[in-house]
Amino acid sequence: MSETTSRLPVRFRAATEEPALARWCLIAVAVAGLGLLVIAPLAAVFAQALADGAAAAVASLGNADARSAIWLTVMVAGIAMPLNAASGIAAAWAITKFDFRGKAFLITLIDLPFSVSPVVAGLCLVLLFGANSMIGGWLVAQGYPIIFALPGIILATMFVTFPFVARELIPVMIEQGRAEEEAALTLGAGGWRILFTVTLPNIRWALLYGVLLCNARAMGEFGAVAVVSGKIRGQTATMPITIEMLYNEYLSVAAFSMAAVLALLALVTLLLKTVLEWRYADLLAATHRP
Amino acid sequence: MPICLPPLTGLEGLTMHIEIDEISKEFGITAALHPVSLAIPSGALVALLGPSGSGKTTLLRILGGLEFPTLGRVLFDGSDATGLTVQERRAGFVFQSYALFRHMTVFENIAYGLRARPRKSRPTVAEIARRVTKLLELIQLPDIGGRYPSQLSGGQRQRVALARALAIEPRMLLLDEPFGALDARVRKELRQGLREIHDTTGLTTVFVTHDQDEAMELADLVVVMSMGRIEQIGKPAEIRARPRTDFVRDFLTV
Amino acid sequence: MTNRRFIQRSPMPGFGLSMGITITMLSFVVILPIGALLLKGAAFGPGEVWRVVNTERTWAALYLSFRLSLFAALFNLVFGVLLAWVLVRYRFPGRSLLNAAVDLPFALPTAVAGIALTALYAPNGAFGSVAKGFGVQIAYTQLGILIALIFVGLPFVTRTVQPVIEEIEREVEEASATLGANRLYTLRRVILPLLMPAALTGFALALARSVGEYGSVIFIAGNIPLLTEIAPLLIVIRLEEFDYDGAAAIGIAMLVISFAMLLAINLVQIWSRRRIGFV
Repeated sequence: MSETTSRLPVRFRAATEEPALARWCLIAVAVAGLGLLVIAPLAAVFAQALADGAAAAVASLGNADARSAIWLTVMVAGIAMPLNAASGIAAAWAITKFDFRGKAFLITLIDLPFSVSPVVAGLCLVLLFGANSMIGGWLVAQGYPIIFALPGIILATMFVTFPFVARELIPVMIEQGRAEEEAALTLGAGGWRILFTVTLPNIRWALLYGVLLCNARAMGEFGAVAVVSGKIRGQTATMPITIEMLYNEYLSVAAFSMAAVLALLALVTLLLKTVLEWRYADLLAATHRP
Repeated sequence: MPICLPPLTGLEGLTMHIEIDEISKEFGITAALHPVSLAIPSGALVALLGPSGSGKTTLLRILGGLEFPTLGRVLFDGSDATGLTVQERRAGFVFQSYALFRHMTVFENIAYGLRARPRKSRPTVAEIARRVTKLLELIQLPDIGGRYPSQLSGGQRQRVALARALAIEPRMLLLDEPFGALDARVRKELRQGLREIHDTTGLTTVFVTHDQDEAMELADLVVVMSMGRIEQIGKPAEIRARPRTDFVRDFLTV
Repeated sequence: MTNRRFIQRSPMPGFGLSMGITITMLSFVVILPIGALLLKGAAFGPGEVWRVVNTERTWAALYLSFRLSLFAALFNLVFGVLLAWVLVRYRFPGRSLLNAAVDLPFALPTAVAGIALTALYAPNGAFGSVAKGFGVQIAYTQLGILIALIFVGLPFVTRTVQPVIEEIEREVEEASATLGANRLYTLRRVILPLLMPAALTGFALALARSVGEYGSVIFIAGNIPLLTEIAPLLIVIRLEEFDYDGAAAIGIAMLVISFAMLLAINLVQIWSRRRIGFV
């Protein structure tokens, strides 16, 4: 039995940790990098928007073109999003509740818009529905133009945001398994009832996040819409298009003010995502199959 | 105080006696180990026996340097080793899940400790190959060097983990529930294997188990633990004949 | 027994409807448009596509887009892994804020990012003026494009690597330490190889995104042909000139090169996964 019992040695470090100096250096690099690359541009948006004071910024959003741009953007997102959400749910249902050949191929197709440049997406739509094409020419003659009109913008937006909802839902639904749906089946529930009373409640947070992301992207889509819309002020100029036009006309405050609105939307989306991740981490743990 | 390591040749290295001096460990407000003391003679095969939550794994990890005690000292051959890092302790550790490196072959796993040494003390490529081959023979799996852990059975992985720990010429061997994840038949074979390896290498070996048959059959010395305290220390026959506390008595009759 | 049916029989309802909706939407929104592009290319024939693409200006634009995207993706590979490690393994004030910030390039509209980056890196901007002090111009040069592409691809590597880091068993790191390896060796030989497949996936995603990026880049790029003109911009210019054939040719060239790159990366991934010996 010894008299002296020793306390922890000064250089106390677990086997799975880096030395403190290394840790803080890495943290510093990460923070600096993110700050310079990501946070600085965000701050710049607001700084530039408020360069002439808040009143000027708000006033610039009040004119007719700005208002119609906002309205157009909201409408396009309002149409594209539910459609993509519905097809996302359908795709997730087909993929996660059934086993069939060619599943990987289907998933690759759904992911396709991610690997295609938005400009190329717009190009494809122009080739398909433009006045020169067969389909397009006929539609224009009927008085339903697609390119340089609202339908084209909606289609372009849908193309670009197509995978979002499905991609959010599929991993969650795979993790949750089919047992609950099968149980409902044995209890006599039909397909729609199962969907609405069993599946959707279980995936509601993932669905919400997928929809939010889809929405943010839909409202912010630029490249595809730039090609397809014709940039007609007051008619086919969405918010991002308007931002470009204002910027090119050196109307900096107006451009950045509108940009700030979209940036705020992005921040809200991220905030909601963080909150949802908290919430649905719990829920995911609760619905996790042992 | 730094410990001078004697030079080691071959697997029959010098081993050491271990003293645990009033070691206690708290995680927050929970005491995983109340102050415990234990002397392990050089070359002994010791079992830390007890149910889950008894603190046996914590004690093992403290020996290996993977946990630091809240109070107390660990002594290797009489010198205070409490401040030694994991790397400095030269304690071969076999984990419950084996923790094999799944992106490396069996050969690379076993050679890992030798290759990780600084250039000055690193054996040549040929020497490493020689040692790995010898170890593969020792664990009776001479042909699996090129396979990946995912291609091995549980029993094979356990033996590879053992060989990997032995490759660094450790001064002691620590095993955490080495047979826990295996079925009964494989367990019996491997028990025998562990005994043989211990006798061949003469290393001080400490293993953790909740299986009393295992402890009684294999160990020279059994340490029965419960709730962070040592209930009894002794040779297997002694403990069976003269259980000192109610806990030990109940634990052994089950 | 191999099942030769297309679909395993299942009592679960709704296969027909859900597949029907999925395939209809997929075809209409995605496949048909891409099909139109490919059909156009087929109508030309590869020889004609080649002829249109094979101009100095087009090659310069393609080369610029792919080269700068590659560098940006490489930067994001290194920084992304570092970031993922810091976010998963370390606790420090502001960590959750930082974690949320990683998604910003994903959520922020590209045009907004484009003008913001330009404002920052223009010679009179906050960062641009600092650079000017060193004699370096960022906005309207290839350096500016690079920074914009880094911004755009930033989240991809981090987000794909984070879950993998979370799943690394601590025991494997402890085992490495008990075998005598110091921390750097453990990181290099044990942890990094486990992260590589996910990191490569993220790299591929960042690369694909950067190559096609338009909105974030055109404001800061300068858009001078042969110098700072990216491929997507060239497509837009051709469309404005009503040169649909030219635009289509460049579009197809981009698709082909992207496809080849992604295929190569996928093959590397399959090879590396095989080495890790996943069952």
